[in-house]
Amino acid sequence: MPSRILLEIFKIKKFTISLAIILLLLFIGLVGPSIYPTDPFEAVFRPEDPPSSKNPLGTDSYGRDVLAQLLHGIRMSLYIGFTASLIALAIGVAIGSIAGVKGGLTDEVLMSVTNVVLALPSILLMLLIAAYFKYRDPMLVSIIIGVTSWPWVARAVRAQLLSLRAREFVHFSRMAGYSDFRIAVEDLLPNMAAYIFMALVLLMSGAMMAEAGLSMIGVGITRGASLGIMLYWAQMLEAVRRGLWWWFVPPGSVLVALSASLLMISTALDEYFSPRLKGR
Amino acid sequence: MEGEKAVYRGLLKRPVVKLLIRKVVFLFITYFVFITIIFALPRLVPGNPLAEMLANILQTMQATPELVRAVERRLMEEFGLHKPWHEQYIEFLGRMLRGDLGTSYSLYPRKVSELVFTYLPWTLGLLIPATLVSWIAGNTLGALAGYRRGGRFDNALLPVSLILSQTPYYWLAMILLYTFSVKLRLFPLGGAYPSHVVPSFTLEFIAGYLYHYTLPFLSIVLAAAGGWAIGMRVLVIYELRSDYVDFADSLGLSDRKLLQYVFKNSVLPQVTGLALNLGTILGGSLITELVFSYPGTGYLVFRALTRLDYPMIQGTFAILFLTLILANFLVDLVYMVIDPRIRTGYIGE
Repeated sequence: MPSRILLEIFKIKKFTISLAIILLLLFIGLVGPSIYPTDPFEAVFRPEDPPSSKNPLGTDSYGRDVLAQLLHGIRMSLYIGFTASLIALAIGVAIGSIAGVKGGLTDEVLMSVTNVVLALPSILLMLLIAAYFKYRDPMLVSIIIGVTSWPWVARAVRAQLLSLRAREFVHFSRMAGYSDFRIAVEDLLPNMAAYIFMALVLLMSGAMMAEAGLSMIGVGITRGASLGIMLYWAQMLEAVRRGLWWWFVPPGSVLVALSASLLMISTALDEYFSPRLKGR
Repeated sequence: MEGEKAVYRGLLKRPVVKLLIRKVVFLFITYFVFITIIFALPRLVPGNPLAEMLANILQTMQATPELVRAVERRLMEEFGLHKPWHEQYIEFLGRMLRGDLGTSYSLYPRKVSELVFTYLPWTLGLLIPATLVSWIAGNTLGALAGYRRGGRFDNALLPVSLILSQTPYYWLAMILLYTFSVKLRLFPLGGAYPSHVVPSFTLEFIAGYLYHYTLPFLSIVLAAAGGWAIGMRVLVIYELRSDYVDFADSLGLSDRKLLQYVFKNSVLPQVTGLALNLGTILGGSLITELVFSYPGTGYLVFRALTRLDYPMIQGTFAILFLTLILANFLVDLVYMVIDPRIRTGYIGE
C-alpha cells in the first residue's frame, strides 16, 4: 500500500521537480567542495574580480573565491537547516503528542506553554539568545533556531492526534487494553507520518531562512561559510553599492530556490493527502 | 451605585468583553515571560557575557580612570550582579515597568529608552504602511487568482507569489537597490532622507523622504504580498465549494458581487495570520533597514548586537516586543469587530 502512495506522489510534477532541485543542491553541497577544491577562506586572488574562468563566480573584497564560499555555504546552510528542524520537530512532536494522548491537566499545561512560546516572536528570541554567546558554532546556531521554532508543530500534532483519537480503530485498541504508549506508536504515529514529514520540510526552510537572518544581523556562526554569512559580508563590505552582483546574487538565489522547493514539496503533499483541494 | 455595579457585571458577562479580558491577560503573561527571558539569559549563558562587556568597554573607550569607575558603578547598579538573583530580578522588573531601560555603553552615556524612541518612528513609518499595503494587495490578488483558478491570471500569479513568498525582504532589497539605484540610478543609495535636509514638515523634506522611502517600502511590500496571495488563493478555493456560492451563482449573481461575498467569508484566517506573522515581518524589515542604511531600530539592534551593548540589546528588544504585543492586540480587536460570530456572541472563542 505505501509503495502505491509513493508511486502516485512521484507522479505529481510539482513534487518531483522540487525534490530534484533539493537533491541537486544537496549533491552540490556534499560533493561540490571536493570537486572544486579552492579554499573559500584563503585570500589569494585579485579582490573584487568579476566572474572569470579562474573564478567562475568572481572574488570578494578580500580576494576570496565566491564559488568556493557558495559550495561550502550550501553545505553549511543545509546542515543547519536539517539539524535545527530535527530539533524543533523532536520538541514539537514530543510536546504535541504528550498533550494529545494524555489530555486533561497535562494537555492544558503543555498547551499554555506552547501558546506563550508561540506568541513570543521567534526571530527576536533567536537574536536575543544568540547575542549572549561569544562563539557560535553550527550546532549552537541549530539549537537556538530549533528551540524557538517548535510551537506550531506541537499544536498541529496535537490537533491531528485529537482527530485521530476519535476514530474507531483507536477505540478498539483502547478496549483491548493497550497502553497509551502502544496506541501512540502503533496506531497514531503511522497515520501521521506524512504529516510529520510535511512539518519537517517546512521547519527546514524556516530554519535556513532563520540562519540567514541571524547571520545578516551579525549573530550567525562565528567561523565558516554559510549562505547567510556570505550575504552578511556582502552587506558589510557594500557589495551592492559597489556593483559586485556576483557576490550577493548567488547565495540569495540558492536560498530562495531551496526554500521555494521545500514549500512546493509540502504543498504537493498537502494537496495529495487532503482531498479538499483536489479538482472542483 | 448598585445599578452601576450591575451594569458592570452585565458588561463583564458579555462574551466579547470576556474574550478581550482573556486576551489582555494572555498578552500580559507573554510580556512577563519575555522580560524574564531577557533577565535570565545573560545570567545563564556560560562565560559571563556581562563581565565580557565590561572588559570590552574598558578596552575600547580609552577611558580615564574616573570614567571607568563611573561605567563600572553603573554596570553594577543596573545589573546588580553582587546581589542575590531574586533581588536582581525584582529590581529589573521594577525598572522595566518604570520604563528605565538603562544606559547604553556603546553610545555612553545616552539612555537606551531615549535612543530607541529616536529610532523607532522610522521603523514604524516604514513597517506599518508596508504591512498594510502588502496584506491588502496580496489578499486581493490571491482572491482574484483563486476565483479564476487555473486561468491565465492565476497561472501567472502563482509562481511569482510562490517565489516572492520565499524571498527574504533584505535580499530582495539588495536586488532592488542594485537594479534601481546602482544600475539605473533612479533612486538614492540609502538613508531615509537627503543628507542636506533637516527632518521637518516642509515640502522639501517630505518629497525627499518619499523618494528614499520607495525602495525599502517596495522590498517589504513585494516580498510579503506573495505569502498573503498564496494563502488567500487557497482559502478562496475552499470557500467556492460552499453551497451558498452555487446558490448565488444559480441566481445569476454577478461575478463581482459573488467575489465580494467569497472574499469577506474567507479573509478571517488571514487576519489571524497577520497577527501571527507580525514578528517575522518585523524581523525581516529590521534587516532590510540595514541594506538601505535606514536610520531605524534595525541599525540600533545591529549596533547593540555587534558591540555587545547588553543594556541596549535588552532595552531595544523589550520595546520591540511591547510594540508587537500592542500591534497583536489591535489585530485581535479588528478580528473581533469583523467576525460576526464573535460580535454577536455566537461563540466564546
